[in-house]
Amino acid sequence: MNEKQELMKKIATYDFAIVELNLYLDTHPTDRDAKRKLADFEEKSGVLRAEYEEKYGPIIFRDTPEKRMCWIKNPWPWDLCEED
Amino acid sequence: MWVYEKKLQYPVKIKNPNPALAKIIMSQYGGPDGELGASLRYLSQRYSMPYPELKAILTDIGTEELAHLEMVGAIIYQLTRNLTPEEIKAAGMDAYFVDHTTGVYPASAAGVPFTAAYIQSKGDVLTDLHENLAAEQKQ
Repeated sequence: MNEKQELMKKIATYDFAIVELNLYLDTHPTDRDAKRKLADFEEKSGVLRAEYEEKYGPIIFRDTPEKRMCWIKNPWPWDLCEED
Repeated sequence: MWVYEKKLQYPVKIKNPNPALAKIIMSQYGGPDGELGASLRYLSQRYSMPYPELKAILTDIGTEELAHLEMVGAIIYQLTRNLTPEEIKAAGMDAYFVDHTTGVYPASAAGVPFTAAYIQSKGDVLTDLHENLAAEQKQ
């Protein structure tokens, strides 16, 4: 696994926890422990996402409007690269 | 509305193509209990939900199901790369190939195209939630 893939795997790990905590909070919106965990993971994912977008291009196009060419650029998430 | 994230929910990297496996996994994409049905089921039912918690959770789960759909699509795409006509025939993928080549098309493993008849949206909270419980048992 190369550096880019390792970084994305870490982001995906935090983001999975974020998505699931958000689902839980939809029906348990006052659970302070879950809210604390969500905030913690959001912060950690945010730092990693900023690093990824800086190095490899946008995850969400609005984050880096000046990188329009990078948004279009391969690989798209389903692509398999030679170095993979 | 939705905003696309240029990433998969979990990365998909398949080294060895396997069209026979792709044919089976296809059902999780566009089959009767697949991710397309799941996302449309939740995203359609949410309009008539009587409680805000349910509108929230059906919106958020329906959204996550779309992320699952994208991962399954990536799996099928990567399993069907660089195939020779012989490999396609040997895997029994020729019947699919004649209509779609290696395009990812929402159908069941038996080749039945996706249909909204796989889902229900009744406008009744208990009916719809029971439909969802049953659907989750099947997928």
